[in-house]
Amino acid sequence: MSDLARSRIGIVGAGTMGTGIAITAIRAGFATVLADAVSAQLPVARDYVDRFLGQSVQRGKLTPVDRDTALARLSLADDFERLADCDIVIESISEDLQAKQELLKGLGEYVPEETVYLSNTSTLSVTAISAGAKQPDRVAGMHFCNPAPLMPLVEVVDGMLTSATTHALALELAQALGKTAVEVKDSPGFIVNRFLIPFENACIRELERATATVEDIDRAVRFGLRHPMGPFQLLDTVGLDVHRAVSLSLFEQLRDPVFAPPPLVDQMIAVGHLGRKTGRGFYQYDEPGMFGT
Amino acid sequence: MTDRVSTVRVGIVGYGTMGAGIVQVAAAADCDVVVVDTREEALERGRALLLESVHQAVARGKLADDAPETILSRVESVTDPRALGDCQIVIETVTELLDVKAAALEEISRCVDSEAIIATNTSSLSVTSLAANVSNPSRFAGLHFFNPAPVMRLVEIIPGIDTAAGTVDRLRVWAAEVGKEPVVVKDQPGFLVNAVLMPYLNQAVQELDRGLASAEDIDIAVRLGLGYPKGPLELLDLIGLDTHLHATTSAYEETADARFAPPPMLRRLVAAGRLGKKTGSGLRTEERHE
Repeated sequence: MSDLARSRIGIVGAGTMGTGIAITAIRAGFATVLADAVSAQLPVARDYVDRFLGQSVQRGKLTPVDRDTALARLSLADDFERLADCDIVIESISEDLQAKQELLKGLGEYVPEETVYLSNTSTLSVTAISAGAKQPDRVAGMHFCNPAPLMPLVEVVDGMLTSATTHALALELAQALGKTAVEVKDSPGFIVNRFLIPFENACIRELERATATVEDIDRAVRFGLRHPMGPFQLLDTVGLDVHRAVSLSLFEQLRDPVFAPPPLVDQMIAVGHLGRKTGRGFYQYDEPGMFGT
Repeated sequence: MTDRVSTVRVGIVGYGTMGAGIVQVAAAADCDVVVVDTREEALERGRALLLESVHQAVARGKLADDAPETILSRVESVTDPRALGDCQIVIETVTELLDVKAAALEEISRCVDSEAIIATNTSSLSVTSLAANVSNPSRFAGLHFFNPAPVMRLVEIIPGIDTAAGTVDRLRVWAAEVGKEPVVVKDQPGFLVNAVLMPYLNQAVQELDRGLASAEDIDIAVRLGLGYPKGPLELLDLIGLDTHLHATTSAYEETADARFAPPPMLRRLVAAGRLGKKTGSGLRTEERHE
């Protein structure tokens, strides 16, 4: 058994991404603490884990015994003291630079010096997140895709001060979690969002210009480029508000207009057409639902 | 219920790769097809392309074992464009050059009935400007198939400024009958698919040039993170860097939209003869030195 396999993983932030990463970790055999300062979030997360693994059993992807073993590896906490014996902490709180910086500084009180800290940021600079940390060489970016238990990719990102050891550990961890890692420069949006956001904005602009209808643009992208979903199906699933936030963040950092959210996005948000979750986005839905259900 | 899916008699002008692909699509859907090219050698090459493609489809289980015989029996290939006389739809698929297409469309106009639909399978020329070469342009539209036409399900229908709504409807019905997914798109450079694809491919070359990640990691991230069938750099190698450079330069000249501006690295690679798969080296295909 290597050192890594014995590692305890702490995950901070029990939202969809953090909980998804926790599922990935316990399934891969890691003892895992999922922590969130908002204690009301914990039963929601627990319920999500139970449902997800229950479905895996129903679909024959997991035996009931393996599910129970995996569940036994998970503990939930609303205080960060429980992270004290974690070798690796994965941060998955909201995309707010200051909050991420403060969390990283604050965790210094609880976790040992050797702990490696991985940020699941999708749009912020890993270098900026690590700034002010006591040991910025132990900080790296590890960006999972949503839904984390199902998507095979992680983007591993070095900040300016990340050490080679930390980088190597992130790559090794990705592999142990059953993921394929790519190595990306600390540059806004990394690879996935760097390409996705301008593509979606371009499709929204074509719609604004009436190049084609929503349905026809989606069909053109699915059947002409063989993408798994049309851009508007995907935007409705992700949520227009989320798309706007990611777009704006990349635009503010890169100052390239291809990242700027087109006016139609603001208009749709103003009238509450956020996508599936509000029952209406580019399409209309019978029942509002959350991503991943 | 009739035995045949479609009773439309279709004319195809130009028996190159796209022409042969569209011949297969139409004939496999039970249309009678007349295919016209200028010279006998061109027809022979076209017939060979059709035969190869049909046999591939059989080998992949996409067509029944007896399909080649049926398909070939529905296709007539001739050098005399007057054979197009009784076609209800004629699709022009000649070389993507304005004057070559203009001449072909004039010839087609002279040979067909004034109500017959005439369509151009262009990917980069303006449908409205080509319409000037067609008598009664209300029956003329763009009909953009993707390569390989028998495999790719999308067809873009592009009305020009004078195209009648009835023409768009007839093309939409026919495209659906032959098993395609038709979409109606405005006449603009790149129509829809290439208008969103070209900036994305340009961006991929720029990000590689700036060192965002390795070429391989960019492709892996796009395939696994976004679920696209290919990454942008392997796709460029497949399309051909020169082909993409030509298309994106032409879109840039027409629109002055910076997203279409060819990235310097793309020009450098083309200048060096690294055109992608066809030359054995490109963005992903490594050049092997002996």
